[in-house]
Amino acid sequence: MKQKNKRITPGKIYMTLILAFFYLPIVYTVVFSFNSTKSLTHFKGFSLKWYEKMFASSSMMDSIITTFVIAILATVISTVLGTIAAIGMFRSGRRLRAYVTQVNDLPMMNPEIVTAIGLLMFFATLKIEKGFVTMLLAHIMFCTPYVMLSITPKLRSLDPNLMDAALDLGATPWQALLRVVVPQLTPGIVSGALVAFTMSFDDFIISYFVTGNGVSNISILVYTMSKRVNPSINAISSLVVLIITVVMIAINVIPIVRDKVIKRKEEVK
Amino acid sequence: MKKLIELTGITKDFDGQRVLDGVSLDIMENEFVTLLGPSGCGKTTLLRILGGFLEQDSGTVVFDGQEISKLPPNKREINTVFQRYALFPHLNVFDNIAFGLHLKKLPKAVIREKVTGVLKLVGLSGFEKRHVNQMSGGQQQRVAIARALVNEPKVLLLDEPLGALDLKLRKEMQRELKKIQQEVGITFVFVTHDQEEALTMSDKVVVMRDGVIQQLGTPVDIYNEPKNRYVAEFIGESNIVDGVMLRDYEVSFEGRTFECEDAGFAPNEEVEVVIRPEDLEITTPERACIMGTVRSVLFKGVHYETMVESDSGIVYNMATTDRTEVGDRIGLWFGPDELHIMKKG
Repeated sequence: MKQKNKRITPGKIYMTLILAFFYLPIVYTVVFSFNSTKSLTHFKGFSLKWYEKMFASSSMMDSIITTFVIAILATVISTVLGTIAAIGMFRSGRRLRAYVTQVNDLPMMNPEIVTAIGLLMFFATLKIEKGFVTMLLAHIMFCTPYVMLSITPKLRSLDPNLMDAALDLGATPWQALLRVVVPQLTPGIVSGALVAFTMSFDDFIISYFVTGNGVSNISILVYTMSKRVNPSINAISSLVVLIITVVMIAINVIPIVRDKVIKRKEEVK
Repeated sequence: MKKLIELTGITKDFDGQRVLDGVSLDIMENEFVTLLGPSGCGKTTLLRILGGFLEQDSGTVVFDGQEISKLPPNKREINTVFQRYALFPHLNVFDNIAFGLHLKKLPKAVIREKVTGVLKLVGLSGFEKRHVNQMSGGQQQRVAIARALVNEPKVLLLDEPLGALDLKLRKEMQRELKKIQQEVGITFVFVTHDQEEALTMSDKVVVMRDGVIQQLGTPVDIYNEPKNRYVAEFIGESNIVDGVMLRDYEVSFEGRTFECEDAGFAPNEEVEVVIRPEDLEITTPERACIMGTVRSVLFKGVHYETMVESDSGIVYNMATTDRTEVGDRIGLWFGPDELHIMKKG
C-alpha cells in the first residue's frame, strides 16, 4: 500500500491541482485577513486590526445580523412550506404532481438574474416598499423548491401504507403526519433545510435587486466594498468561510455521532 | 351467530374502470372470512372500503347496526394488518405496538401490561426493545398483528399478510393466525390469492372475480361444489367434462350414463361435470367407468400426478398413489358422490 501511495500518477496531479485551485484563494483570503498592513499582496505581520474594524463598523455588523436573521427565517419558513407542499403533492393525482414538479423546477433552472429582475418588477408593480420584508420573501421563494426537491426522493421510498397504518390505529390525519410521516422524512427535511440555509446565506444577485432602505446582507456589503480595496473584506469573508465550515462539519459529524449513540444504546440493551 | 358487518351493493370505479360491481356480503361475529381471487379481482379494494381508506361509489357498509361509510379509519373499531406490514421504522417493537394505546392516552402501566400480553400472544415476548428493521419477515408479521390486536378491535382486516413469507414460514403462520383468531375470538377478514391458504384457515370463503362474488361458502362447499368453471379451476385442480343431464340423478358423458347426486336441472340440459383428481381411482377393466391410456406420470411426493387419456380423447388429471407406466391401459373408477354437476357457462 505504502509503495503505491508514493507513485505520482496523473490522477494525483489532477486532484492536487483541483484542490489547490479550490482552496488556495480561500486560504489566501483568510491569511490576509490577519495582515497588519492594507496591502493585499504583501504579508507584513500578524494583526487582528481588520477584525476590530469589522466589529467596530456598524454597517458590517448590521449586514451580518441581517444575513443571519434572513437565513434562519427563510430556512424555517421554506422548510415548513416545502415539507407540507411535498407531502401534499405526493398524495395528489399524477397529473397535478407532474405540473407542480415542473413549476417547482423552474425557479431553480431559471437564471438568478432573471428571477431577480422579475421580483424587482413584481414588488415595484405592487408598490411594496423594498427592504427587509421583500428580501425575506424572495429568499423564502427561492429556497422552497430546494426543500421540496430534497424531500421528494425520501417520500417516494416511503411505504405508502404508513400513513394509513397510523390512521388505522386511531391517529387523526395531523397526528399521523407528525408522528409517522415527518419522522420518516427527517433526513430529507434536514438536508433541505441546510441547502436552504446556505442558499440564503450567500445569495447576492436576488438580494441585491429586492432590497432597499439600506438593508444589506454580507454578500451585498462585500460587493459594494470590493470597489474600494479594504482588507476588512478579507475579515468578513473569513467569517463566512468559518461559519460555512462549521455548518459543513456539523452536517458530516452529526450523523456519525448519532449512529454511534444508537449503536451504543442497542449494545446496552 | 350475530351479524357484524353487512355490505350491500358495493360498487367502486377507478378511472372509469369498475373494480367492484354490486358486492353484497354478510360477515358474522367471530368468523374467519377469506376474500379469495386473483390480483385485480377487487378483494383489496373491498378490504380498504371496510377499513375506511376508500369510499364506495354506491352501496352501504353497516357495522354493528350502524352505517359507517362516512366514518374515517381512526374512528372505526376495525384494525388492519397491511401488506408488507407498514411498521413504523423509527419506533421499536414496544412503541410500534403501543402506538394506538398512546393515542388513546391510556396510563403507562396499562399500556405496558397490554403490550406484554399481546407480545405473548404472538410469541414475541422479550422483543420489546428490538428495532423493527432488525427483525425477520415472520417476526415483523407478528409485530404487525400484535399492533393491530392490542387495540382490541371487533374486526381485524388482513391484506395478503403472508405473501412475503417463504413457504414453510407461511404454513406455520397460517396455523398460528387461526389459533390467534380462536383465542381472541374476533372476526378476521383475510385477503389472499392463495386458494390453499383460503381453504386451510377460513370459516367462510368468498371467491371473487372482476369485482363480482362468484361463490360464497365453507371451504368444503367451495371445493366440493363449485358453482361454475371459474371457481372449480381456481380452487385446486379439477377435470371438467362436458355432459348432458338426462334427468335428476343421471348424467351422461364419455358416451355412458352415470348415476350422480345432483338434481334440479332441465331434462337433457347441457352441463359441466367436475371430477377432482384425487377422486379418480385406478381399477380393473371390468369395474371401470372409463377406459384410458396413461400419457404421463409425474412423481409429486405424496402421490403421482398421472395424466390418462380416455378412449374418447379426453385427458383426465388424476392424483393416485398407484404407480403406472406411460402407455399402460387402465380403468378409471369414480362413485356417484364424486361427480359434481355445474350449469354450463
